[in-house]
Amino acid sequence: MFGKLTWQAIPWDQPIPLVAGSVVVLIVLAILALVVLKGYLPYLWHEWITSVDHKRIGVMYTLLGLVMLLRGFIDAIMMRSQQAAAFRAAGYLPPEHYAQIFSAHGTIMIFFAAMPIMIGLMNFAVPLQLGVRDVAFPTLNSTSFWLTATGALLVNISLVVGEFARTGWLVYPPLSELPYSPGVGVDYYLWALLISGVGTLMTGINFVTTILKIRAPGMSYLRMTIFCWTALAANLLIVAAFPILTATLGMLALDRYLGFHFFTNEAGGNMMMFINLIWAWGHPEVYILVLPAFGIFSEVISTFSGKPLFNYRSMVAATMFICLVSYMVWLHHFFTMGAGADVNAFFGISTSIIAVGTGVKIYNWLFTMYGGRIRFTTPMLWSMGFLVTFVIGGMTGVLLAVPPADFLLHNSLFLVAHFHNVIIGGVLFAAFAGITYWFPKAFGFKLDEGWGKAGFWLSLLGFYVVFMPLYVAGLLGMTRRLQHYDVAAWRPWVLVAGIGIIIMMAAAACQVAQFVVSIRRREELRDETGDPWNGRSLEWATTSPPPPFNLAVLPNVQGAEPYWEIKRRAIETQHLSPEPNYEPIEMPRNSPTGFITAFFSTITGFALIWHIWWLVGLGLVAAYAVFVWFAWRDAVEYSIPAEEVARYDRERRRAREQWLAQHAGQPA
Amino acid sequence: MSHDTDRRDPGDVGPGFMDAAELTIREGIARYVIGFVLASLLTAASFYVLNTSLIWGPGIPVALVVLAIAQMGVHLVLFLHITTAPDNTNNVLALAFGVLIVALVIGGSLWIMDHLNQNMMPMHQMMQMQR
Amino acid sequence: MSATDTPFDRAGDPYRVGRSRDWLSEGAGRGYVHVTGHGEGGPASKRVIVGYGFWIFLLSDIVMFSAFFAAHAVLQTATAGGPSGRELFNWWSIVLQTAFLLVSSFTCGLSAVATEARNQLWTQIALLVTGLFGLAFLVLEGRDFAAMVMQGAGPDRSAFLSSLFAVVGLHGLHVSAGLLWLGTMMAQVFVKGFRPDILRRLVCFNLFWHALDIIWVALFTVVYLIGLGR
Repeated sequence: MFGKLTWQAIPWDQPIPLVAGSVVVLIVLAILALVVLKGYLPYLWHEWITSVDHKRIGVMYTLLGLVMLLRGFIDAIMMRSQQAAAFRAAGYLPPEHYAQIFSAHGTIMIFFAAMPIMIGLMNFAVPLQLGVRDVAFPTLNSTSFWLTATGALLVNISLVVGEFARTGWLVYPPLSELPYSPGVGVDYYLWALLISGVGTLMTGINFVTTILKIRAPGMSYLRMTIFCWTALAANLLIVAAFPILTATLGMLALDRYLGFHFFTNEAGGNMMMFINLIWAWGHPEVYILVLPAFGIFSEVISTFSGKPLFNYRSMVAATMFICLVSYMVWLHHFFTMGAGADVNAFFGISTSIIAVGTGVKIYNWLFTMYGGRIRFTTPMLWSMGFLVTFVIGGMTGVLLAVPPADFLLHNSLFLVAHFHNVIIGGVLFAAFAGITYWFPKAFGFKLDEGWGKAGFWLSLLGFYVVFMPLYVAGLLGMTRRLQHYDVAAWRPWVLVAGIGIIIMMAAAACQVAQFVVSIRRREELRDETGDPWNGRSLEWATTSPPPPFNLAVLPNVQGAEPYWEIKRRAIETQHLSPEPNYEPIEMPRNSPTGFITAFFSTITGFALIWHIWWLVGLGLVAAYAVFVWFAWRDAVEYSIPAEEVARYDRERRRAREQWLAQHAGQPA
Repeated sequence: MSHDTDRRDPGDVGPGFMDAAELTIREGIARYVIGFVLASLLTAASFYVLNTSLIWGPGIPVALVVLAIAQMGVHLVLFLHITTAPDNTNNVLALAFGVLIVALVIGGSLWIMDHLNQNMMPMHQMMQMQR
Repeated sequence: MSATDTPFDRAGDPYRVGRSRDWLSEGAGRGYVHVTGHGEGGPASKRVIVGYGFWIFLLSDIVMFSAFFAAHAVLQTATAGGPSGRELFNWWSIVLQTAFLLVSSFTCGLSAVATEARNQLWTQIALLVTGLFGLAFLVLEGRDFAAMVMQGAGPDRSAFLSSLFAVVGLHGLHVSAGLLWLGTMMAQVFVKGFRPDILRRLVCFNLFWHALDIIWVALFTVVYLIGLGR
């Protein structure tokens, strides 16, 4: 009746997951109780859960990412502390448990922390920067988010009910096949990623269509912001790469569920095919993460240097170059697995070449800063930290791109340090820069600068103290994923890394404090005009937060940096442009489709994991029913009358006129 | 969004629109009939090539691939109305991108896996070593 | 044409190769230039947006198929002592399946013509015929699969068979989903008529169904025809 599910699935005999799981369950129940008892549920349902507004969805994505970042970070703390303690000792985490932790750490950080935050920031900012009202397919957007949340939920359920994969975050066969992973761990991984992968693919389709087909009048390709270009490149990569992930994990699922032999030891299976295909996805994936990060830095650096981005066209060229070449380097993840010299040489050279694109970008950012009037705000600090840190990580990457070097360093801590270097230095720093930068636009007040800077400095320090020793340990021969070790030469480095993680815990505390303090002090930190940073792109033309329709009238874009031009003209002439003609605006209606689809997907995923076949059938039927019900809708949009648009926009203009009057005579 | 949902864009066309070229019903049907006939001929040719010795043996796979690509072209142009006109640029570029990715995935995988299979011990031999 | 066009522009250079955007934009209020997809005219209409978005989805689907194709190409010789394609393939079934799918693609196209003419009866008839031929395709494929399993040549016999069942089966799964969608569309067209959003969905269905036939061309060429030679 319940498939493989029994009461034994709960880890009664393992204190750490039991306690951790109980704490999480209690916190979740407490939050739910608070929400329901205080009557927030109708508000949450109508304003957030069923919202199809890209801004709301962006916020929810980012929030999901930040919460999962915390969960992944806790896994990291456990790993570092275990390794610090386990020199010729057992440590405190048994090997089967440690294996689940490093697998969960990687899976969560990539799929449910970094991706959602980047996608969330793209969701929030891209339509605003394009000067339009929403993405191409708003309800699809909502469904994408909720399916991602489903994946995150399934991974978190594995903590309490059952187990997680013990194979590492990429579940290589034959270890991940049924004979060697008979439990539900790999199944949790498979279904969480297959389901959320569908969501991500839909996001890719949504944004490619939006950026190519929905822009403000006059906004040609070369007048978009660089963030929009990098969003385009990243989403093209999503469309090109995620189907491969779906296919490969699908093949593994077929092996495990229906006895297929794609990657098994017997009957002709070829496990190298898995590695080949999964990295054909895996490499574009890291560029999916880092390209939006580059876009964020372009925005932040140009804004806080007070200059337009240096050499816009070469930035565009570099972005599309990286997009293309990222699909030609994937073998560098398995140089050591026997492809031979000529194949290795080709991919080694292509990997070195792709670094050129990033090099161009780094120089452009430096030249943007040169000669500018730099404001050392928190987002700018994150960007400057990125410039140094990412270059180091990139250089170690180019080192690894040389196959003979990689033969020594493959799967060592050197590799681990390299990819954390680029992901933390690139993606995480960009996440915090972008969040701090766009927070006032989303919520109407800035984040506290003091705590933000403290968080930055501690993160920077903590990162170096954790990972630089790991480079050394890797060069000394320490491999990754060790639950214990007995080589005395590695010990000091592992211990220093253990201290570093404590510094990063302090940094995390500062980040949390930043949010708490800012919310408490929000009236002092209020953003009155909608342009707290003296921004250059169109999102700063709206109020903070923007209305559902973003702009009352779509702008007529006549050059790059359209908002900067508008502002300059207003300051020179000392008044705003004439009031436009207001017309009623059609906006898409909210829809519970996304949430309900995800609900049934969660049930179906859970049922598949535990082999509860009748529930799987039920879930699929329900999914089809939701599809038909959604397709049968007659009322798809609602109209905002012109008077309301006018009233709203006049408020906005009044705030801007006030600002103009206060700053009369000051140059732009 | 407050734009006309049903108007035609003067400079832009999505894929598959029959009215893109503003054809009459007769022209529309003619297109599909021609496409159907051509596709049938190409399919028949594929089966024919396989079953006769018209093409030199080792060249058969090449001939089959050429015929397949031709038939895909017939489908794309006559059934899906993908053209090279300026208003179709986005569609063609997207298709080209897709074709590139497919070529990289399939070509790259075949190249890599071929090398790996040559260099690595076959699985059953490896298993026997463990017994 | 807009005021910025010289006689030189449209005739010889429809793609505006080498034209600087700044040149075109000098001076305010020049009006929108109708250049291909450069966004100068503002957001595209919904029919273009929906069509293009679905086109991108189809391309992503084709990439997914290519991964299964790649696996099949690699595993085509991994028969592990079991039967190979030559011993298994039922040629008449494959010929009929190909024919049925091609006919259904043709009738799908005819339904698009009927839709443009806003003719409810012929649209429904053409869609019905499309569905019936699609169903016939599935029945034949199902019978082939069942026969192979009966012979002991199911997907669990060898990696070659796994990849065969997977790639052909994935296509069949898409056809099945397409038939479900087709049924739903027929009901919608019948109940709600030729509303703009229903029309957009019919365009998407058309694209989907034709794409399935394109994939079948690749499939029967690589899996069956070329696979026969091994």
